[in-house]
Amino acid sequence: MTHEELEEAVPLYAAGALERSERQALEAHLLSGCVSCHTALKEFQSVAAILPFGLNSMPAPRALKAKIMAARTPTAIAEDAQEKVDTKPSLEPGEWMNHLFPPESAAAPRSFGWALSFAALAILSIGGYLAWTSYTQNVTGTAVVQQLQAASDDQTKKVAALQQQLDDRERAIVQMKEELQQRTTDSTELKDQLIQREAELEDLKFQFAARGGVPANREPEDELAALLRVPNAKAVSLNGSDMAKQASGMLVYDARTKKAWLYAMNLPECPNGTTYQLWAINDKPVSVGTFHMDSGETAHLLVSRVPEFSKAKKFAVSLEPSGGRPTPTGPIYLVSQS
Amino acid sequence: MDASSQHAASNIDPKLLARVVKGDHQAFSQLYDQSSTLLYTMALRILGNRDEAAELLQDVYLEVWRKVSRYDVGRGTPVAWLVTLTRSRAIDRLRARASRGLNKSTESLDSSLASQIADRGPNPFDAQADQEIKTLVGSALAALPQAQQHALELAYYEGLSHAEIAARLNQPLGTVKTRIKLGMSKLRESLRRCWEQGEHV
Repeated sequence: MTHEELEEAVPLYAAGALERSERQALEAHLLSGCVSCHTALKEFQSVAAILPFGLNSMPAPRALKAKIMAARTPTAIAEDAQEKVDTKPSLEPGEWMNHLFPPESAAAPRSFGWALSFAALAILSIGGYLAWTSYTQNVTGTAVVQQLQAASDDQTKKVAALQQQLDDRERAIVQMKEELQQRTTDSTELKDQLIQREAELEDLKFQFAARGGVPANREPEDELAALLRVPNAKAVSLNGSDMAKQASGMLVYDARTKKAWLYAMNLPECPNGTTYQLWAINDKPVSVGTFHMDSGETAHLLVSRVPEFSKAKKFAVSLEPSGGRPTPTGPIYLVSQS
Repeated sequence: MDASSQHAASNIDPKLLARVVKGDHQAFSQLYDQSSTLLYTMALRILGNRDEAAELLQDVYLEVWRKVSRYDVGRGTPVAWLVTLTRSRAIDRLRARASRGLNKSTESLDSSLASQIADRGPNPFDAQADQEIKTLVGSALAALPQAQQHALELAYYEGLSHAEIAARLNQPLGTVKTRIKLGMSKLRESLRRCWEQGEHV
């Protein structure tokens, strides 16, 4: 048969109208994996399966349900006990779905009695076997327990020796740990001293500049860069609120020098008579400082000396009247994550 | 799920079959309630005898109780699977009866069977959710030319091959094949609309 002929046979197959030889030829073709025929068959079989809906409904006899519900259980048991090979010769029309899942072996209801006696025999033999094994176990049990006791004593001694060794090692480790701790403390102290000196130097530079010396104060950007190298500096990123979705900010706080750097980007220009104010919020907001965004400015760096706020949970920037306010009153523009 | 769709044959939940596989008696009872009218109607149409149709239904449901694990979601809806299984077992019976040389004992029922097909009005035995699909299939069938409809019914409900149909109708083989092919294709086209609306049965 050509593919065209096979394809033409698909609707006939679904309707159950093919001769046996034709059926087998098409089934072989389908099993060879022809996708188009398989798709067509699925559709035509859905059509075939829907046809009985076109009949005028007749309800099954009322007693039938109870009969089936009752007939179900013993048959199921018999089937579990004895398997019987189904000797159906070939596929029936429209049985493609069953063909993919060959019929399960079914047991005849009359095999029920036979199955029961078989089950009883099995239970008897299992019982006998269990009785016999428990008897022999008792006889050999006592000797085995003594052997095990001796072996267990041996093992206990070995474990004690190992425990001793383990304790020694543990003590050595504790000593090493203490030494390491000492070294770490030393190094931290040195670091602190260094930072202290740097801060002092910076102060001196400021004082020097304030007294009209050579302008030595570094650009704030340099300070930020230096700060980013300081260990333990805390960095918090801020996101623009609904007022300024494009805006963002980075706040860095150095607990040693008690300085905060806010690098704010893309905030809108401050209207006349207003200023941005940065808040550290713990229980209540504390002002950190104010800054102004001028026309055309896209980024602003605020450097401010602040009291201890390492406990602050949140930071925010609001727009306030010029000079700032003791508590936030205007809309929030930036807020820290988390 | 409202009360009416709970009893619809077109609406059997694959999960229900999964529960039947696990030996859930309540699920089995519900499966029977949802599908028995449709399957009995078809068995009666094929076998033409109430007692035999009831016997067949018992065989089918017991088979489902045992081998329902063979149902696979990828192969079609639960009701399609049940219809295919029932039709196949009914045709088996029909053939076995023919080989024993017994005549189809349908004379007394012929008139009621005729009305089984002709009457497509709402039926109190059908769940409301099934009414829609029944109307759809009914009108799709009615839209077929009489000859195509007849050839299809001989194949589907009487288990006749195209050659047997040709002999019975005294028509050329090619004509019979074409009628069945056209009939099936037209039904597919009419029912496609229903499937595309997600009411695949």
